[in-house]
Amino acid sequence: MVIKSPQDFGAGILFILFGAIGLWVGSDLNFGTARNMGPGYFPMIICGLIMLIGLIVAAKSLAVEGPAIERIQFRPIVFILLAIAAFGLFIEDIGAIIASILLIMFAAYARKDVNLIETVVFAVVTAAFVVIIFVYALGQPMPVWWGR
Amino acid sequence: MEVFDHLATGFMAAGTLQNLFFCLIGTVLGTLIGVLPGIGPIPALAILLPITFGLDPLSSLIMLAGIYYGAQYGGSTTSILVNMPGEASSVVTCIEGHQMARKGRAGAALAIAALGSFFAGCVGTVFIAAFGPPLASIAQQFNSPDYFALMLLGLVMAIVLAHGSVMKAVAMVLIGLLLGLVGTDTNTGLTRYTFGLSGLWEGIDFLPLVLGLFGIVEIIRNLENPPPPRDAISTRMRDLWPNKQEIREAIPAALRGTMLGSILGILPGGGAVLASFASYTLEKKITKTPRRFGYGAVEGVAGPESANNAAAQTSFIPLLTLGIPSNPIMAIMMGAMIIQGIQPGAAVMTTRPDLFWGMVASMWIGNLMLVVINLPMIGIWVKLLSVPYRLLYPAILLFCAIGVYSTSTEPFMMVLMIVFTVFGYVLFKLGCEPAPMVLGFILGPLMEENLRRSLVISRGDPMIFINRPISATLLVATVLMLCLIIFPQFRKTREEAFQEE
Repeated sequence: MVIKSPQDFGAGILFILFGAIGLWVGSDLNFGTARNMGPGYFPMIICGLIMLIGLIVAAKSLAVEGPAIERIQFRPIVFILLAIAAFGLFIEDIGAIIASILLIMFAAYARKDVNLIETVVFAVVTAAFVVIIFVYALGQPMPVWWGR
Repeated sequence: MEVFDHLATGFMAAGTLQNLFFCLIGTVLGTLIGVLPGIGPIPALAILLPITFGLDPLSSLIMLAGIYYGAQYGGSTTSILVNMPGEASSVVTCIEGHQMARKGRAGAALAIAALGSFFAGCVGTVFIAAFGPPLASIAQQFNSPDYFALMLLGLVMAIVLAHGSVMKAVAMVLIGLLLGLVGTDTNTGLTRYTFGLSGLWEGIDFLPLVLGLFGIVEIIRNLENPPPPRDAISTRMRDLWPNKQEIREAIPAALRGTMLGSILGILPGGGAVLASFASYTLEKKITKTPRRFGYGAVEGVAGPESANNAAAQTSFIPLLTLGIPSNPIMAIMMGAMIIQGIQPGAAVMTTRPDLFWGMVASMWIGNLMLVVINLPMIGIWVKLLSVPYRLLYPAILLFCAIGVYSTSTEPFMMVLMIVFTVFGYVLFKLGCEPAPMVLGFILGPLMEENLRRSLVISRGDPMIFINRPISATLLVATVLMLCLIIFPQFRKTREEAFQEE
């Protein structure tokens, strides 16, 4: 067995998994009948179809040439996710200023060759901007500085 | 004339200082985001969605509509000056518009695009005013089976028009449908697919989903494959006006584009992208000098630009009258309306005429504002292109995070956004285009409900879909569309059309 289209093969597997998990998690939902559809009726049909498509896509990937999966670059995604996580963790208790600065700092390191001074200045300016626009101008309820 | 009474109501509602202000803010922000290379209307709408939530429903819809065609227009500016389409509907503008710019006619191309869009916008507004009410009364005859069939047609159209593999697009729609079902089942009150998380009881929140899938994945994508730096072609104000020859070529093309766009916009699955491609093909077919195409033909700018703007407007018709979004962008609009507590549909027109007509009127006002802010300020927008991406993307990311937080302080929403970012990233690596998924996500619960009702009425007999004339017609159209996908000739043209991107 040779995989001729890695991208499609991956997509096929993803769809099959998605459908299978859907069927498995939804297995305790009552299917009902066409006349009286249970909560599981529509989801089960959809999951079945997703698996079917997954099988077709995966099978085709063994026969038809297609693009390879691009190499995953960990740096961008990891730092971007860290940035969001940091913001989410700190906004409530420590406030918008620190959370914004942290988000910008983490996000900046998603690239190589970061100019630290520029980034710090940019982060502080942006955080100030956020507070002025969102908290004071738009009146969004957001803790600014240590819960206030 | 009833239409004029309605429009008067609309202009009264949209003409208040507050609404004019939000219309202006919307068009400016939309242009701002749309001009940025690589950000099309879907991410632009997603990123700016949260700032409209605090407003009252009419202001927020006016602002959203403004953002939408602002982004659309901003995209054309980038296409013409930098040859980088921000969105699919600007791709054809790129072909001819950028060639014009290279010949030193950038100003003329921009002016033609703006004026063509404005003209199309005016016609589109009249179209909505004229066809909205009759369509709404037709909509009142729609029953569950008809709605179900219509949604099916819409989804199939979305698949036909999606980029890349048909099969993957089908899977995207289906996954969207399933994600839309997460939460409490309206019929039985049972929770489905909530994994025991209380944050999912009311369904997956719309905002973290679109921001993750479109806003943030877009950033990661650009970081992985930095777009090559391209210099914008500079324009001077005095070059802005098209010459006589160009005007002569542009006017008929703009008229044709407007008509084509207005009609294509109403169809399920239609919208700006389809309209601009169709108009470009039409112009290429009927021209007497096909050799000029590809080398800066004025018609190739005027036609598609008018068409996509007309379609952008008329694609509101199915949403506002039938309550069914015809493309992913309208699905985002509908998501925003639902968050505002408005269920789009024929009822809006009778229960909230100020809302419906106010929005229609604001589209015209917004288009006027676009011309006014775009042409004289083109220099400023071009400057924006020189903001380095290393500063831009952290700011966009911060905007997404604040957007989610300000609509729900629930920490779970951030988690959800992270989950959808990862999911969107996986899809991107596997070559799946997530846009059709949003449509499925919005339509999931509606489709289930209408299927359930239809089958209750018919006591489980699926023939009800064929016995009713409206649903039968729609199903025939759906089957025809499916045949088109399978039919090799069409498939080839579809692939060629997307090749040009």
